[in-house]
Amino acid sequence: MKVEPRVPEQTLLRHSVEFHDGPTDLVTRLTAIARARLERGEQLALALPAGAERAVLEAVGTAGVALLETGFPPGVASGQTTAVLRARELRTLVRSEPTVALLCAHDPALDGADGGYWTELDAALNVTLADLAIDVICLYPAFPLHLEVLDGAAANHPYLHTACGLRPNPDYRCPRVVLAGRPRSQPAMLGPPDVRLEFNSWDLHDVRKLVATSLTGLGFDAVRAEDVVLAVNEIATNAVEHGSARAEIQLWSTRDGLICEIHDSGGALDEPLPGLKAPHPAEPRGRGLWIARQLCDVLHVWHDGRGTHVRLHAGA
Amino acid sequence: MGSGRVDVVTQGEHGEVAPGSHACAVAVSDEELREITASFVSSGLARREQVLYFHTGDEGGAGPVLDRLADDRVPVSETLSSGQLRVISAAALRRASGPHQVRGLLHELAAAADAQGWAGLRLTGVVGESAGDAVPAPIAQYDAAVNEFVRTHPVGPRRLTALCLYDDGHYSPDRIAEIRAVHPQVLRAPAAYDDGLLRITRHEPTALRLAGEADHSNREVIVKLVERALDQALRSPSAPAEVELNLASLRFLDVTGAVALVHTAEEFPNSHRLVLRDVRPAVARVLDRCGAPFATQLVVTTAAGRARPAG
Repeated sequence: MKVEPRVPEQTLLRHSVEFHDGPTDLVTRLTAIARARLERGEQLALALPAGAERAVLEAVGTAGVALLETGFPPGVASGQTTAVLRARELRTLVRSEPTVALLCAHDPALDGADGGYWTELDAALNVTLADLAIDVICLYPAFPLHLEVLDGAAANHPYLHTACGLRPNPDYRCPRVVLAGRPRSQPAMLGPPDVRLEFNSWDLHDVRKLVATSLTGLGFDAVRAEDVVLAVNEIATNAVEHGSARAEIQLWSTRDGLICEIHDSGGALDEPLPGLKAPHPAEPRGRGLWIARQLCDVLHVWHDGRGTHVRLHAGA
Repeated sequence: MGSGRVDVVTQGEHGEVAPGSHACAVAVSDEELREITASFVSSGLARREQVLYFHTGDEGGAGPVLDRLADDRVPVSETLSSGQLRVISAAALRRASGPHQVRGLLHELAAAADAQGWAGLRLTGVVGESAGDAVPAPIAQYDAAVNEFVRTHPVGPRRLTALCLYDDGHYSPDRIAEIRAVHPQVLRAPAAYDDGLLRITRHEPTALRLAGEADHSNREVIVKLVERALDQALRSPSAPAEVELNLASLRFLDVTGAVALVHTAEEFPNSHRLVLRDVRPAVARVLDRCGAPFATQLVVTTAAGRARPAG
């Protein structure tokens, strides 16, 4: 994955922002955009808070409208994970529809501690959707609770969406610059893990065995369990190959599946958010994390002064 | 026999435990144990002998060996249900403690195999692994009894072929020398590579077999051996235009390993192909995700229709 300093020429995505004054104004604007797009025969995709989604559907109907996944539990929301999911959803959609527009709106329920979810989501969307020739229109409040939301929205959108079309956004910054300028959002702390294991390059077999053992009794079928073991193996391999010689895995067995964290004590990452894009087939590296992202429900990478950390959730 | 001279055979295309002999093998890894056991068992089944496999109950009991037999395309379920292959807990053997009892047990088993119309009897299993065993005495008695039985029944339906398996890690070099000394034959199974996690054996200069798990710790050796096999194929005009990797017993392949195989195949000269045979579903999925379907010089075949024994 290469994150260019400016919008790279090969970028096909048109990612724009429009600001609103409050819930009523939001619905008015959303409805206007949705109606215009549908009239032009475009396929519309919606990723909106529940109330806004209902209002838009009442106004424009459901024909030609695809609803994307938005039901993320607040404690679990990860902007980078959502960006990978959006890429998967939209790639499926563009296969059958020539023209697609995605309409998104800020949902304060996903702000977390500081609103960083949104900054990370939009920066990551610039990477994961770069090669899709679609319009992504994001509506943000002009006066959000967290200033971070406003700063992030201003920096992450190469275009401003206006009544007379897209205008270049002078405040736009490339994802690498945006992400380097802020601490990566750390997920909510969990209690002590059920099991933990320190490992090095020669102990990866023990890591796989530990994960396979933890998965038994959680309702995973054999194929899914093998895939989750593979995903964890790839993250654990990255930790000891690129991070530090010794790393640690922690596992939590929950009703919703397995939660796993892997911590190394390595230096800063080459890429602020690795594994967001499938590497070029000729590129021997970087595929493990990308595959792991496809196999996990949540895969969140963050770096701090102590090292690189990955949390993943895998449901049965 | 009395001379104490030991006959060393090397497992492979032509080497195997001679029918009617008593051999031992000291394995350095679980994969080697499984390979040797499966090869000995399937050779007996092919000779219409009854095969008794004694397992200690450790490490999943008989499961890994039955799994390896299925990898080797031995009809496991059929031979188990016909009684030609029997899996028996080693505890039964341990209970027969004195030399008389061991001799009696062997006679009993050989007579039963004969009565059921089998062409002979074959015994194998890992010996003396139980933590409580102080090792020497009972094993020596058992070995002496087997030696005597083998000597007195060299041919005919009560012919006995026995292979005693030992795990290298459990014994001192002196003890291993003693073990070898009481077995008229010693079986060796050479490997191109074996680190305890992954075992690679060479069946022909251009055909390798992988067993176990390939990850960050050992993936480089695979590419190195494939490249050496390609080199062989290119040098010899009579060699096939394919380098074959049998992956039937490869249970895990990481993403970098899969990418390396795809890239290696892509770098083959146009005249040659890399063939991955009998790939397990989990490994096939990783290869798929790493671009294997788009590599024109890579052929992946799965072990379709292969019935894996339950458990």
